Amino acid sequence: MRTLSWLGLVVALIALPAGAQQPYYAGKTVEIIVPFAAGGGSDIDARFFAQFFERHVPGNPRVLVRNMPGGGSILGANFFAENARTDGTQLLATSASTIIPYILGLPQVRYDPARWELIKVNGVGGIVYVSPRTGVRKPEDLARPSERLVYGGISATGLDLVTLLLFEALGLDVRVVMGFEGRGPARLAFERGETNIDYQTTPAYLSQVVPLVQQGKAVPILSMGFVNEKGVMVRDPSAPDLPSAYEAYQALFKRKPDGLMRWKAYQSMVAAAFTFQKALWAPAGTPPEALQALRTAVDRMRQDPQFREQGKQVLEGYEVLRGDLAKSAVLRATRITLDVKKFITDLLRSKYQVRL
Amino acid sequence: MAEALSAAVELFSSPTRLGMLLLGSGVGLLVGILPGMGGIVAVAVLLPFMLKLDPFSALAMATGALAVVHTSDTITSVLIGAPGSAAAVPTMMEGHPMARRGEAARALAAAYLSSLVGGLIGAIGLTLSIPLARPVVLSFGSPELFLLTVLGVSFAGNLLGKEPLKGLAAGLVGLLLGTVGPAPAAAEVRFAFGQVYLTDGIDLALVALGIFGLAEVTSLMARGGAVAQRTDLGTGWWEGVRDVWRHRWLVLRGALIGMWAGVLPAIGATAGTLMAYGHTVAASRDRERFGKGDVRGIIAPEAANNAVEAGDLVPTLLFGVPGGAPSAMLMGALLAYGILPGPRIVTDHLDLIYTVVWSFALANLVGAAVMFAASPALARLTYVPFYRIAPPIVLAMVLAAYQETQHFGDLVSLVALGVVGYLLKVTGWPRGPLLIGFVLSNPLERYYFLTVNLYPQPQDWLLRPGVVVLTLLVVAPFAWRAVRWWRVRGQPRQEERTRVGARAVTTVAILAVFLYAWWTARGFLPDAALMPVSVAAAGVVFTAAQLARELAGRASLAVDEDEPDSSPQELGKRVRQAVPYLASLAAYVAVTWFVGLVWASALWALWFLRRVARLSWTASVVYTLALVLGLLALAGVLGLHLPRGRLGL
Repeated sequence: MRTLSWLGLVVALIALPAGAQQPYYAGKTVEIIVPFAAGGGSDIDARFFAQFFERHVPGNPRVLVRNMPGGGSILGANFFAENARTDGTQLLATSASTIIPYILGLPQVRYDPARWELIKVNGVGGIVYVSPRTGVRKPEDLARPSERLVYGGISATGLDLVTLLLFEALGLDVRVVMGFEGRGPARLAFERGETNIDYQTTPAYLSQVVPLVQQGKAVPILSMGFVNEKGVMVRDPSAPDLPSAYEAYQALFKRKPDGLMRWKAYQSMVAAAFTFQKALWAPAGTPPEALQALRTAVDRMRQDPQFREQGKQVLEGYEVLRGDLAKSAVLRATRITLDVKKFITDLLRSKYQVRL
Repeated sequence: MAEALSAAVELFSSPTRLGMLLLGSGVGLLVGILPGMGGIVAVAVLLPFMLKLDPFSALAMATGALAVVHTSDTITSVLIGAPGSAAAVPTMMEGHPMARRGEAARALAAAYLSSLVGGLIGAIGLTLSIPLARPVVLSFGSPELFLLTVLGVSFAGNLLGKEPLKGLAAGLVGLLLGTVGPAPAAAEVRFAFGQVYLTDGIDLALVALGIFGLAEVTSLMARGGAVAQRTDLGTGWWEGVRDVWRHRWLVLRGALIGMWAGVLPAIGATAGTLMAYGHTVAASRDRERFGKGDVRGIIAPEAANNAVEAGDLVPTLLFGVPGGAPSAMLMGALLAYGILPGPRIVTDHLDLIYTVVWSFALANLVGAAVMFAASPALARLTYVPFYRIAPPIVLAMVLAAYQETQHFGDLVSLVALGVVGYLLKVTGWPRGPLLIGFVLSNPLERYYFLTVNLYPQPQDWLLRPGVVVLTLLVVAPFAWRAVRWWRVRGQPRQEERTRVGARAVTTVAILAVFLYAWWTARGFLPDAALMPVSVAAAGVVFTAAQLARELAGRASLAVDEDEPDSSPQELGKRVRQAVPYLASLAAYVAVTWFVGLVWASALWALWFLRRVARLSWTASVVYTLALVLGLLALAGVLGLHLPRGRLGL
């Protein structure tokens, strides 16, 4: 792959003098397929990036977002895998709901990200907070809350899988109530006092939960953690004051979790579902000059002050990584070992009645 | 209040903001006219422009569009009987029969005026409720939300029609249809038949387009002639204005129901509008007139559906929990400006909120004025022979259906639901309860499980004051009806004895569906099975009872809703006439699979214009060409997608 992109660069350089007036994308229209309904997090992310791709891809193509919801994003991703144009004018935006079924090997999945070209990836963080009623102030209190912890989730096979694995990794006794429409309604249930432990992704945490923290109605405990390029879990860059789940484990058990199966399962899912949540892909066979143009645009974006200013809320302070540099890390995150997979399926079957 | 005034001054004195507001309203009105397209398409069209404007102008633009999409979706609902959106179904149920009587102008005028007043009440309500909304919204826990959905379902009880058994069974069909897809409380996908397309459930817009829109268009094609059967009633718009004044309290009640349905999570816009309709029927003494073109059935829902949009802004702005996709997109645009919806928006961006409120009010005024001015001209469309205007309507519906997921399944679902809708229509199965059941099925099941799982001890939720009050609201009308029934018992009831006819086929088919669902659902996980099993079991009981009545010849005549006086022979003749049209629509979709939408549309339109409308070859070709160009232009301007065929066309 690396050689291929070098080759692309060489080709682009050779082609440069001849076609200097006519960049690859001049006059073209790029379509970003978002396999989710309009208005969701992935849609917002894709629409945000679309305008900056328009500005920074040489030739200034039109960049449109096309929502193809259905099957919890599997339908749109399958469509992309089977029908996408390979001239660089069709891209796919994926999220955790696209990657988790792939990792778990669900039979409906007919796509394989390993065969695609990664354009960009950016992460999302998660902050876990509790109600003051629980008496929990810091991670070590989680083992002895003054009332039973109750969590409101959406569905065990979606992003909540990571939360379930977190509870498992930390050995918490939590009553999990699935069935909320989204994290927003689940947060309302927390505010109403129906649940007492909750997590939100960083932008929602900053806008909706921080005011509650200031009023003494919520206590932040830990961040889901961020898996760096060495595969080590560190503190969330947008919540540097909060201990990561890794530190929380150490506080609770006075030892490091490395090597434990339940920890391995949690950390690999954090990487796949949070650290590399919002990815943009081109299909295999996309010409190198197209990939080059798109990836150059990612670099240019990162320098654009307006991108950084407006990106504060959308990107939550996480870096956007250029696809060719991040691809191996992203793909590594999607490949979980068989024992981890078995651990996850066993957990889902025994505790949450999920048949995979 | 100072902020409210200064925001108003800013808005009205800034040509950019005012201009963007008007532009947004224009797009909203245009998109609203197209059946099946609404706020999502309007906001999606405007979004690229919004991102280049300052936040105030951008918000004025988006609010302008969202405020009026439900004003203009009245046109197709009334004139053609194809609801512009699911929330326009009550307007269609009452407005379309009025149009057939030649009272289209009256229906439209009443609809626009109530829309306007509803929108203004919504704007005022929004202004007043901003300081109070947070504690009020939080006081509704999961048990209260569950009972609100129960209340919504019980409102369907007012729409049962002449044969209550059929109405109940139809409501259960809706509930069952709503269980297709992922179960809220268990990791199981139900009734997907191995199709990934069905794993997210059936789309509401497709249900409205198919069960109501396509069914109505088919019936109009089969009947031939113009929509209006009388032309002697004049323009009548002044009559519509007087209707609204006469029922001014109904406008207020409709707007309040709509606004609260928008403010509270769980209920949703469509159910709010239908609840306003159900309330109107329940509160009227002469309820037999509903469903046959009663203007009261237009006034309350129209007031409600504009107020819903205002109410929806409360959870979006104050909690960051948008009630619908359009407001979610609005929220995404705000994020890009660094404006975070949430508790702090009231302190940090109050001027922005009031810009939204005033834009909302102004757009309602503009939208209603434009549509009002256009309504006498539009009403004349009902005098044109229907086959001349059918092709663009069918094409627009197919195009809209495909925008839902852009999967071929959208088109198949549209035609399948259209066939089902037509069957229900001609055999006199009320479709109002079906729609209520469908939209509330998921929230009902979701909040039931959330309630019992979050409150493991029944007394913890059953005795909450809100729950007790809502339970009384649910039970009281039924108790009242039981008392009335007890009083009139023993009086002989007139029942026509009828022969078992073809209509029993529909009853048998519905019974088979319930039996199949009951049989299949028993194999689901317990938490996924409860809802479909109980719905299907109740459905089996009611449908079997209905079938028994029909076989014993005790059921009243199966009648087409539109033609209550027609004899069974005429009905049979019309159904036979409808078969070729339904077949042609199925062929249209099948051909699309091979050659893509553009060519398939051209072929279907050409066939229709030559064989049905009997236009000359020249006229047919010119009309078809114009249609195809219009289709392409529309897709280009609105950024819509046209399905391509396997042959690569």
